This record gives sequence, C-alpha cells and structure tokens, in this order.
Amino acid sequence: MLDRTRDEISRLVEPGRVHRRVYTDPDIFELEMERIFGRAWLFVGHTSQVAKPGDYVTVDLGRKPVIMTRHHDGSVRVLLNRCTHRGAKVANERCGHASRLVCLYHGWTFDTDGTLIGVPVPEGASESFRKEEFGLARAPRVGEYRGFVFASLAANGSSFEDHIGPMKRNIDDLVDRAPDGELAFDAGMHRYAYDGNWKLQIENVLDSYHVPFGHASTVNKDGVQFARREGDQKGAKVVEADKKSTAASWKDRKSYTVGNGHGWTSNTSLDEGKRSSPAFDEYKRVLAEKVGAARAEAILTPRLHNSLIYPNMSIMGLNIHVRVIRPIAVDRTEVNIFPVRLVGAPAAMNSANIRLLNVTHSAASFVQTDDLEAFARSQKGLRSTATDWVDISRGLGAEEPDRELNATRELATHEMVVRAQYKAWAGYMREAV
Amino acid sequence: MTDVPVGGVAGIDRRPFEDFIVHEARLLDARRFRDWMALFADDGTYWVPAVPDQANPFDQASLFYDDRDLMKTRIDRLEHPRIHVQTPPSRTAHLVGNVVVEAADEANREYVVGSTVIMVEYREDKQRLFAGRQRHRLRRDGAGFRIVQKRVDLINCDAAFEAMAVPI
Repeated sequence: MLDRTRDEISRLVEPGRVHRRVYTDPDIFELEMERIFGRAWLFVGHTSQVAKPGDYVTVDLGRKPVIMTRHHDGSVRVLLNRCTHRGAKVANERCGHASRLVCLYHGWTFDTDGTLIGVPVPEGASESFRKEEFGLARAPRVGEYRGFVFASLAANGSSFEDHIGPMKRNIDDLVDRAPDGELAFDAGMHRYAYDGNWKLQIENVLDSYHVPFGHASTVNKDGVQFARREGDQKGAKVVEADKKSTAASWKDRKSYTVGNGHGWTSNTSLDEGKRSSPAFDEYKRVLAEKVGAARAEAILTPRLHNSLIYPNMSIMGLNIHVRVIRPIAVDRTEVNIFPVRLVGAPAAMNSANIRLLNVTHSAASFVQTDDLEAFARSQKGLRSTATDWVDISRGLGAEEPDRELNATRELATHEMVVRAQYKAWAGYMREAV
Repeated sequence: MTDVPVGGVAGIDRRPFEDFIVHEARLLDARRFRDWMALFADDGTYWVPAVPDQANPFDQASLFYDDRDLMKTRIDRLEHPRIHVQTPPSRTAHLVGNVVVEAADEANREYVVGSTVIMVEYREDKQRLFAGRQRHRLRRDGAGFRIVQKRVDLINCDAAFEAMAVPI
C-alpha cells in the first residue's frame, strides 16, 4: 500500500522521467481522484448546454456525478448529483429539462439550485430534521469564462483566476473565431474509451513528436496528410518526400507552458492565403463584417494548435473541438469530444467543421483511432518491469523563456509540456486535501 | 428510425434486394473495401449516426458520415501498411436479416430497404458485438443497384466506443 507521503510521491517524478506506477498502480489512481480530481479546477461544461432555465446536463468530475443546471434566476449551478436522503443519483439522463429535480427513490424534490423543496409524507420526519440542511450539495467553487464552466470540489486552493487566468487567451483563440463571439455546444458529442490511464490522453494532446509515425496511415506518398479543414486543398506536410524524416515545418513548431500543468502548441500553417471554398469564403466575409477585416485576418491566422487546460480538458484548434478526459480506473478512460458551433458563422461552415471532426476524432475516425491503439499498447507495455521508468527527457534543459507570452517555450517535438504536467501532478499529489 | 414500417411494399420481390445487401456484407467481411466502395453511387453516402433518431448528419456529430471522397481516404488508410489500429487487422462476421423493402419509387427507380445487422468483430483478444437497424437507399443500375445511402443505427450508437476501424 502506498504510504502517501511527500517523499514517496516525490520519488515517482524525476527531471526527465516518471515511474511506471503513475500509470499502473491502483493506489496512485485512488490518490489522484482525491488529490487532483477532488481539488483541482475541472472543466464541467459550457453554458450553452444549459441555455434555458431548467436545462441540465450530468457529468462526472473524477468519478463523482454532478449536475450542471440553469437555475430560474439565470445562473448556472454545479450540484452534486446525489440525493441527500439515501444517496441515489438524482438526475439520470445525460441532459434534459426539468423545473424540479426529483429523486426516483422516495420523491425528494429539489429546486434547480439544489434547495430541497419537497419531502413526501412530511409527518414522518424526525423532530430534528431541517429541510434547509438537506439541499443538494453544491460544488464549493465554480468559475466561468466565456461560457466555459469550471468547478473545484474543494473549498480551498488556487483561485479560478490563478488557475485558469493564464489560459484565457487560449479560450479566446477559439471563441473569437465565432462571428458573434460565442460558442454553442449543441452539435452532439463523440465518445471513445480505451484500456489505459487517463494521463496517456492528456500527454498526447500536446505531443507533436508522435504525429509522423503514429499517424503515418493518414499521410500520402508525398508526406502530406489528408485535408482536414474546410477550404484546404491538402493537409499538413508531416514527412519529407523521402519519407525518412519529419517535415521541417513540423519540427519547427513550438510548445509552451505557463505552469499549473497547462500548455499549448503553436500551429503549422497549411494553405493560409490559398484557403478557399464557398463555405469558408462566406464565413470569412461574415467574420470581417462583424469584427472588421484586419481583426478577422488576425483571428483566422492560426497561432495555436492544441491547448491543454490541466487536468481534464483541451481545446483543439485545427479540427476545432473541446475534449474532456474522464478517468474511470487506473487502466480505463473515457474521452468526450464536443464539436463547437461558431455562433454567427454560416451553417455550411459549421456543418463542414462537424463533418471533418467525424473523420478526425470520432471513435471511427482516421486520426484518433491510431492514438487509441497507442494508449492501449502503452498500458500493456507498462506492465513490464524491465525498467521502472518512462522517459520524458526530450529537450530537457533546452527550455527558454518567452517574455512576450509570459511562458516557457520549447520545440513541440520535445517533451517539456509533459514534464510540466508532472510538475503540476506532483504538486497536487504531495499535499493531502 | 422510429417510423420503421413493420410490413413492406406489397407485390415487390425482396429477394434481389436481400441478395444485394448480403453481398455488400460479404465484401466487408472479406475486407474487399474497394469493391465495397464501388457499390455506392457517385453521390452515395455511408452514415452511422451517434444518437438515436438523428435527424441529419450536417449539424450533429456522427460516428461515420462518408461521401465517396472520405470513403476513399478511409480505404487508403485501411490499406496503409502502418495503420496501427489494424495491426493486426479486425476479423468480422456480418449477419443481415429481417430484410423488408420499405418504399419503392419506381419512377426514379429508387428503393428503401430496411434490415437488421449484427457484426461480430475480433481483434487483439477482444470480441465485440455491434447490432442495429440498417436502411439502404438503393438506385437501380442496370441489372443491379447502387447505394445512394447506407445508414446504420446501432442500438448503442451513443455509447463510448473503443476504436472502430472498419465499417459496420
């Protein structure tokens, strides 16, 4: 049994390597649920999912079921989805609309802010029973930025501003692409799962090193990936024509970290300038009409590829979507992929984004499936005790400050961002909640 | 798909339709993906919705929604030597039954054929079962048919799936 001391946690993470137990040890996973998912700011959902009073969605924060509701005063609430009577999960649908949340078991009835408003057969309640003490528990801390709702299940800890603040520009990068400056999460979701640890997906979203080999099956004989964006004639050059080396443009990409485990990668320009299709051209026109030509040009110049808001969500900038990572067990993870609708963009543009996301990131997609195979095989390989260490040392010592962005920078094919994740990981894990 | 008719179109011989759909399933089991794609009309699509009763593939996510271009990219990848998620490849067995010709538009020579599909997939020590209702929109083409749309509504379409590398 893990003795949970600072020293033991510290021994699992070294400067350029992590111990295999962080992926395989069920005790470590239990501790992560308590010390990371029980305390960190976690992405819950988007306010557009609960557009009208009475709308709700149910999600798990770590393994704890919660409900995000729109209360009748217009506010968004995050409630623990557990009846205060005998413990049944109150809201059972993935999403729905209800003016009251009623527990199926004995009919306890809660308002959409969690207040207990009805107890059947009240004359049976004990004398000391106080209805006002039995509201659904609320997430102790909730914060929102441009529709992105985060919650912490701990009353104390790093503030929303301290945790999310440095990543607001990454949220802006996506939201600003909408002519009306707002997103809608109303295009369904992709769900996939794999037999592997949650951190394998977290590490992968900013991993530019794996692409030429891991996604070789998506690259044609000229080293070019299939066109993934509306209006592009071809995709990114990933491999040089001799197929023996990674394309120079790929190797030049940068990765960044701002602490807290967060990070992002810079983009590779594709057909910029040549990007054109009826849907894209119309979108560009509408955006320019709303925000001005110069601003539209700036918004449409890709800067970010993928952004990780540690520990449970990422914003993906090429095939635009928001990804939410849900740990289930030490060797089982579910991932939810939300297409985002750019409010104010032509329907044809949003439709193109949704369709291309099907082929890049559905469970049946061309890109994500090879990653899923990599995650499953990593988990299998990590059973081996041939060595206890997983190497994350690429570029160790080559980090440099980016004063303009107030971040630390490195080549994206290196592993600085993974090391940054483990620094945050160890920070959470060393301290009891 | 809640409006699935129980009966079929009266007076139409369903055997040529059933033969065609069985042939299509056998091509998939044989991994003859290019021959499978050739069954689709030039404007043909292959659609596997991600929610029950999904109204359209344009404003909601789908597991699959391939036109001929995307189908070709998918198959190029399935034939790529370094498709990790098919190393080793899946083995599948499709069973198609309960075939009903639901609608016939003789003027345009188009037909809607409903059926039930079960696909068992084996790969890497795991066997998975997929089941659902299919609806083929077929266009008569000489002595045979071309697929205008194949839609597969899996009974668990909104589940979290492990990687699905081959079409249902």
